[in-house]
Amino acid sequence: MKKEYSKPALEVLDVK
Amino acid sequence: MNMDTAAVLSLDSVLVQREGNIASDMDGEKVMLNVKNGKYYNLGEVGGEIWEALASPVSIRRIAEIMQEIFEVPAELAQQDVFDFVQNLLNEDLVAIVNGP
Repeated sequence: MKKEYSKPALEVLDVK
Repeated sequence: MNMDTAAVLSLDSVLVQREGNIASDMDGEKVMLNVKNGKYYNLGEVGGEIWEALASPVSIRRIAEIMQEIFEVPAELAQQDVFDFVQNLLNEDLVAIVNGP
């Protein structure tokens, strides 16, 4: 059973 | 900007993770700290799988095939999305090109 796909995105978290 | 980020990628470009990243799984998504630039990244579920695939040198085409094995996604869409995502990783200097197009 394959997983549901969603478009990959690189999110930069504002922790600095 | 270094030489890598100026490089042009193709589906046959081979890339690998750069060192200096601490990754952790949080609720199915992969979150990562880059100790070099101090930034935190959320790669998400699919992005996390792409990151795992990049643990050893691998081509963009092969990563797309791996995504097709894990997720319900057409080949063309997988290739396009992996290509774009890896380009973003390269722009952030998180991966290195092992050999070019």
